[in-house]
Amino acid sequence: MNYPNELSYSKSHEWVKMDGDTAIIGISDFAQDALGDVVFVNLPAEGDDVTAAEAFGDVESVKAVSDLICPVTGKVAAINEELLDSPELLNSDPYGAWIIKVEGITDKEELLDAAAYEEFCAQEG
Amino acid sequence: MIDKLKLYRGQSFDPFFNLAVEEYLLQNTDEGCCTLYLWQNQNTVVIGRNQNAFKECRTTLLEDEGGKLARRLSGGGAVFHDLGNLNFTFLVPTADYDLDKQLKVIELACEKLGVKVERSGRNDILADGRKFSGNAFYKNGPRAYHHGTLMVDVDREKMGRYLNPSKAKLSSKGVDSVRSRVVNLKELASDTTIELLSQKLAEAFGQVYGLPYEEIGLTEQDKAAMQPLFEKYSSWEWRLGREIPFTFECGKRFPWGSVQIQLMVDGGTVKEAEVYSDSMDWSIAEKLKQAFEGKSFSEAALCLAAEKACTDIASDICRMIQEQEI
Repeated sequence: MNYPNELSYSKSHEWVKMDGDTAIIGISDFAQDALGDVVFVNLPAEGDDVTAAEAFGDVESVKAVSDLICPVTGKVAAINEELLDSPELLNSDPYGAWIIKVEGITDKEELLDAAAYEEFCAQEG
Repeated sequence: MIDKLKLYRGQSFDPFFNLAVEEYLLQNTDEGCCTLYLWQNQNTVVIGRNQNAFKECRTTLLEDEGGKLARRLSGGGAVFHDLGNLNFTFLVPTADYDLDKQLKVIELACEKLGVKVERSGRNDILADGRKFSGNAFYKNGPRAYHHGTLMVDVDREKMGRYLNPSKAKLSSKGVDSVRSRVVNLKELASDTTIELLSQKLAEAFGQVYGLPYEEIGLTEQDKAAMQPLFEKYSSWEWRLGREIPFTFECGKRFPWGSVQIQLMVDGGTVKEAEVYSDSMDWSIAEKLKQAFEGKSFSEAALCLAAEKACTDIASDICRMIQEQEI
């Protein structure tokens, strides 16, 4: 399992990378492994408001539909449209396949650094 | 750790109400509690969260015959429900989600009826090598549910008719259904009824978890709190207007010329139309294109649009669209 150091993580297994004032959000290696093969990703639209700790979309895998929980509050600046055609990128390249970019951030969840997140995942089994 | 069991028997046969109950029960799932919800829908096709309704189901035929098309929160494929089918939902905190245990409840209940069952893949339960139960799953973070169908005496003729995908060529993103050979439990254990199966499920629920269960009801306050969920599940936007874009194509040769129609549909609305015709009347293609754009993707709306745009050939166009059985 891979936990890149430069990222922050939420307890609902999303990763966040800050690029200036913009938050880039995806799901972690642990999350994609638990989900199994992803077959569809539901994304918000550009310009939508998103709220920390609330759903901003969902992923359907062979196991279940799971809500994606937003780590920050702000406005969707971009969505990764490649995922609409190739949802399996979330499995093959979870840290390359970002899901949304959020700007105008006014709030965020408590996030973990890589070491703390790795420990958290170990406890979840 | 599950230390409390609740059982709720649905009181309605309306799919929108029942799905609202399911989501409401999920939102109100307490720590350490597993709720089993048993429910039935009358004459309904339920599609998966990320499916294209038009691709999976003959929506026009279903609704013309008084049926309802519903969309659930969980993933997977389209299923047909009538009063010969019983649905179950296990609602639990995500930490206590235990698919193996939940499936054991179903298996034990079937055994009590004298039917030996086996799991197939992740989602199906088989008896006699054929599927009688399809399962699907939803997680919202802290809470999760596992639900499924149990075919006792389902009208398989209707099932086949409604779930037969439209003849139209639809190219679409989204999740496709998988066809399976199915069997009714009644065929394998002839005295099985919905009531008997419900009773066995309740017994098995208590036995597998080793706890007594408490039967619960919904108060007027609960029903009032569920109203926004009921509105969501009944809405055209949730059922048909999901933004899963697809392209619809059809074409035919008529005495007056041939015509090809291509509609790009998103959110249930025709965003863009292309119409090609070798008719002597060159304006037909352009008139139809403009007539279709912005209309709802339904047989009725498209026929009405054709009627207004080109009265003299509208009946041909309309029949061509009807033949696609959208």
